[in-house]
Amino acid sequence: MAYSTRERTSHVLRRLGMGASAGLAASLAGPDDAIAAALDLTAPPAEPPDMEPPPDRESARNDRDVETAFRFWLGQMAGSPRLVEERLVWFWHDHFATSLRKVRAPYLMWQQHLTIRRHATGSFAELLHAIAVDPAMLLYLDGAANRRGAVNENFGREVMELFTLGRGSYSEDDVVAAARAFSGWVVNVPGRPRSLDRADPWAAVFVPFRHDGGSKNLLGVTGRLDAAGAVDVLLGHPATGEHVAAKLYRCLVGLPADEPTRKSLGAVFRRDYSTLALVEAIVADPAFTSDAAVRARVRTPLERAIGIAQGFAGHDGAGRALVRGLRAAGYVPWLPPNVAGFPEGERLLDPHRLIHGFDLAALADPRRLGGAGGAELFARLGVFDVDPATLDRLDRTGGPAVRLALAVNAPEYLVA
Amino acid sequence: MTAPCPLVTRRRFVQGLGATVAVVAAGRYGISVWGRHPAAAAPAPPPGTWPAPNGRTLVVIEMGGGNDGLNMVVPHQSAAYHDLRGSLAVTDPIDLDGEAGLHPALPSLAARYRDGEVAVVEGVGYPEPDLSHFASLSTWWSGDPGAVGKTGWLGRWLDGAVGGGDPLAAIAIGPGPAPALAGDTAFAVTVQDATGLAPDVPPWVDDPAELVAAWAGMAAAPVDSPSLLGRVRDAVAATAAARDRLAGALGPARDVSPGRRGGLAASLDVAARLVLSPEVSPAVLYVHGFGDFDTHQGQAGRHAALLGELDEALASFFDAVATGGAADRVLVMTASEFGRRAASNGSGTDHGTAAAHLLVGAAVAGGRHGDPLNLRKLDRRGNPVHTVDFRSLYATVLDGWLGADAAAVLGGAHETLPLLQSG
Repeated sequence: MAYSTRERTSHVLRRLGMGASAGLAASLAGPDDAIAAALDLTAPPAEPPDMEPPPDRESARNDRDVETAFRFWLGQMAGSPRLVEERLVWFWHDHFATSLRKVRAPYLMWQQHLTIRRHATGSFAELLHAIAVDPAMLLYLDGAANRRGAVNENFGREVMELFTLGRGSYSEDDVVAAARAFSGWVVNVPGRPRSLDRADPWAAVFVPFRHDGGSKNLLGVTGRLDAAGAVDVLLGHPATGEHVAAKLYRCLVGLPADEPTRKSLGAVFRRDYSTLALVEAIVADPAFTSDAAVRARVRTPLERAIGIAQGFAGHDGAGRALVRGLRAAGYVPWLPPNVAGFPEGERLLDPHRLIHGFDLAALADPRRLGGAGGAELFARLGVFDVDPATLDRLDRTGGPAVRLALAVNAPEYLVA
Repeated sequence: MTAPCPLVTRRRFVQGLGATVAVVAAGRYGISVWGRHPAAAAPAPPPGTWPAPNGRTLVVIEMGGGNDGLNMVVPHQSAAYHDLRGSLAVTDPIDLDGEAGLHPALPSLAARYRDGEVAVVEGVGYPEPDLSHFASLSTWWSGDPGAVGKTGWLGRWLDGAVGGGDPLAAIAIGPGPAPALAGDTAFAVTVQDATGLAPDVPPWVDDPAELVAAWAGMAAAPVDSPSLLGRVRDAVAATAAARDRLAGALGPARDVSPGRRGGLAASLDVAARLVLSPEVSPAVLYVHGFGDFDTHQGQAGRHAALLGELDEALASFFDAVATGGAADRVLVMTASEFGRRAASNGSGTDHGTAAAHLLVGAAVAGGRHGDPLNLRKLDRRGNPVHTVDFRSLYATVLDGWLGADAAAVLGGAHETLPLLQSG
């Protein structure tokens, strides 16, 4: 199927940003323009809100901090002019999936979010070094319980399986070696007998006597590796660049990278681990704007919600409706179902998620609709090439409010 | 149980849609979690019967994260166990036979064991175990160690026994689709809770049923090629079709206290309603999303709480089905990707291999089965070696409970175990 220029322009914004961005699409001449706009980082980044470190573990568990964070983050997804930054912030959250359910303290999730945001378009190497000793990650994958003589393998395994090499490039011995290298880090939770005054509250602290300082052999590199040393070994392995590059390719193009593409993108990425350079290499591939790539992904509940917010929101309860809708879909930021991140692809087509797509319609303000017909509703969602039968069906149905609820659940909007 | 309202809804829905569309669409729809077999390589559909003999239901409870079988079924006389587990060893198990005991958080299961309704199967695992959650889960889901890009074991049973015939023949109860139910042609609905497939529509929508009917109508547009858009339309049509029947089967919403929402008790409450409903006849209910059994740390308290949740939820479930006269029609079976490391890591246990599993129901041959793990002979990673292949467990329930050709479903013959009463 050959898509219109408008649909292909929208496609670029959907993939490089987090929502439908219909307003922006209307101002652009075509896909190349859209790529330039989405990758343009000259607008200054928004200033994230301040969050006070909670005085102790109990007061850390509060909804207020979640609200502060989500208002900023979801607002950025819907409104930031730095499109690719928001796409990558989400990509890295999904990649380094960490759950508030186990971490408990939104303050730590927020610190991790700021770390990801700081490095999102920059160096993956720096990001990985930061994540390896990130307090929320130390709690989520039990790094804080990993010490000399009682090695906890959780982070050591997942960092290779999911975050860097991918399966098949390491052995069980490497898991143990990595876990030993990462041992010794704890989180300085304030208000406890063993809290340290010399370190910031909630900071990650290296405790030498908990670290296994012995020699390790990790992926063929032998030495008294510590956390930073182990991360460098992982970054030096060619599988890391390929694994991460192929994952980002799949996210942006919507199709799997073939073997030559995987190899060449991996080599590009490994040069200096610049994420923006990797994005540029991926969008330069003709596959990115090919007809095969358009609508090749299932639109995630989060992307659906952001698109609705961009096209129709504005009422007071929109923020609450957004989180409620995402909860029904099991797609709330900071609550990935497991360490592998959020579901994607056809797994999102299960009946529960599909039917609760109607919950997301509550994000919209029907008073802002006027007498909009089907084509106009779709245009505000950045969807242009719609089956005439779908439009006809929509125009024959109910009032504008019901038409809206249907449009945001139409098959054409469920793909992206 | 059935209020007049859902019937009206269904009639209106069918008028709005055209029943054939839904049935055809359901047949083409499948959630490909791992992708699909190339058609040529697909095995012939295994024979089987559905509905299962006498309206039987298999209820699988997946204990996600890797349940510590050693602390669930405790070899309390084993010195090796106490050496390896140190302070994590369970010191006050409920004794079963002087040799093994159940964790003290399992009092009603222990009582049921004494009534002969619990089969404990020890040492369940698979050869050349992989200690990754995802690899091991794929193995348990597919019924094929090391498999990638395959269907689920129960999905293959569905393909043969049900095909696209009834999307409610197998139902996943949990946060998303259950990969074990993924078939090539079969379609299994997922429900998260007792609301079934009821949207929480915005207040400005007057008539949710009309909305869903119009939605299914939008999905009825023909698709010229096998595109993603076409599969999305199929999914929409099948979802709309399943919605009304589920609403009737689940009955009016009951209050579930927010603290228990999403918990195992709520999932098994849904399971009990589906078993007892005359409107559906699910042969398989796959309950997942239970727990985080991945107790690397803080295990003592966390594991006890999870097992306590299992014990209470199972007690309520069996009470409900017994009250409804269906006690002899249900068989509960546990699943989990692996057990835990034999030795404690201080406050928890790392990923392991073989573990004990449970079959519960009036039809089981109660007692201990399989062989206890040899804790003096660990593999080089410190894990015990399995004594029962998990596919034997699958073969036993496929063959003995669902009346299927287990060898066809599992792609080879596996020994069945005497876990069920004959007949």
